[in-house]
Amino acid sequence: MTEPGPGSRGPRWALVALAWLLVGIPLAWGIYRTLRSAVVLFR
Amino acid sequence: MPGLLAKERIIAPPDYNRWLVPPAALAIHLSIGMAYGFSVFWLPLSKAGGWNVSTLGIMYSLFFLFLGSSAAVFGRWVEREGPRKAGVVAALCWGGGFFISAAGIYWHQIALLWLGSGVIGGCGLGLGYISPVSTLIKWFPDRRGMATGMAIMGFGGGAMIGSPLADILMRHYASATEPGVWQTFVTLGVIYLIAMLCGAFGYRLPPSGWQPAGWAPPVESRRPMITSGNVDVRQAWRTPQFWLLLVVLCMNVSAGIGVIGMASPMLQEVFGGKLIGVAGTLKDLTPEQRTQVATIGAGFAALLSLFNIAGRIFWSSLSDLVGRKRTYFIFFTLGIVLYALAPAAGRSGSVALFVGIFCVILTMYGGGFATIPAYIADLFGTRYVGAIHGRVLLAWSAAGILGPQLVNNIREARIAGGVPPADAYNSVMYILAALLAIGFFANLAVRPVAERHYMSDHEGGTL
Repeated sequence: MTEPGPGSRGPRWALVALAWLLVGIPLAWGIYRTLRSAVVLFR
Repeated sequence: MPGLLAKERIIAPPDYNRWLVPPAALAIHLSIGMAYGFSVFWLPLSKAGGWNVSTLGIMYSLFFLFLGSSAAVFGRWVEREGPRKAGVVAALCWGGGFFISAAGIYWHQIALLWLGSGVIGGCGLGLGYISPVSTLIKWFPDRRGMATGMAIMGFGGGAMIGSPLADILMRHYASATEPGVWQTFVTLGVIYLIAMLCGAFGYRLPPSGWQPAGWAPPVESRRPMITSGNVDVRQAWRTPQFWLLLVVLCMNVSAGIGVIGMASPMLQEVFGGKLIGVAGTLKDLTPEQRTQVATIGAGFAALLSLFNIAGRIFWSSLSDLVGRKRTYFIFFTLGIVLYALAPAAGRSGSVALFVGIFCVILTMYGGGFATIPAYIADLFGTRYVGAIHGRVLLAWSAAGILGPQLVNNIREARIAGGVPPADAYNSVMYILAALLAIGFFANLAVRPVAERHYMSDHEGGTL
């Protein structure tokens, strides 16, 4: 059965964006730091 | 009224957006993923407590052992009690483990470190690792691979945040008399406890029978590898499919772990001075040149960790389109070819080709971890996917011991037999390719689970 309620079309997109930012920013920082270490391979 | 952590309390309200679940899972996986980054503490800890690196390295064995064991033992409890309670217990174990370890460093008691981060923290790893799997698969029946891949990508990325953060904290707390490690453990414990509790309280379960709008379950006759039934976790290990998946994961992980452990020294020994544009092997270089080469080796290890996490999301998402069995077919066939080519790439002197080969291999190592929950859900149903996944993770514990042991022993035996260090890796590559060949045949033998293993309707065996 398909519920009309919760799911990808539900509201709360602002909350979704905030939640992703909260985990995305530290992850992006970690990736940036790792890329900085890896770049010596290409010099 | 059900308790704050009860499953019944976290049924999603009607306006809930399912895309809130992956960041909750990521908050937990990014925290526990710091397990991979613990080597950042070895040098400061050896100064603080006088312990040698091999004594401290026991921590990694404890991590793997308790991760796999706790996931296997408590998997059914996680399914019964729900992801929030599991996430909270994982947060208390992982964060609390840092506090116990801090006390161990302060009092110079290595046993407290092993108990805190290794045993208790290791249980937190296992519980935290499997806590979102079942929930994500229920929210994303249309994209099982991608959903679990997002979370498991976090486990691969945790050390990328945790290691530099620990380094910054240790510099901040360091004084003339001590390196600031116990204070760093306390701070990280607080950070991880808060992050994981936020993740655990962010989990929501879909209402019974919920499906994404416009999506219908695949017709079993058209996609026979995706079942609509459910197998009880106590029955799953009696099926050949369970053991085949265990072998598939174990072989894929053993080969990958073997590479991760030797990546940096391998690049340095195979190419030596060529890495900095100087002729000669590693032994012929000056101490300054060796330092430069070691920096490049560390850069190679960093690059591999990026491809490891990229592979987790890429391959698991691709598996939604091509199927899990075909995805592992690609891992094993491409992996065998690449491992077999690696010695030739080393002999050719092409650093780019050599690095490229291992980057692709590492995507498949990460992809193997990220795709296995969806493979389990396809074969055994979604009801006990978390618990069955927990038991399959015992393969990880086995691989954590098998891979590095195999690589180190073969390499040392070859060097003892008079083979130059740079060439000693060739045999290792062929052995790793052989491990993948075992995985290839195990994957080839996977067939849909026989219906006699399914739970009956009255046990709640249908979707």
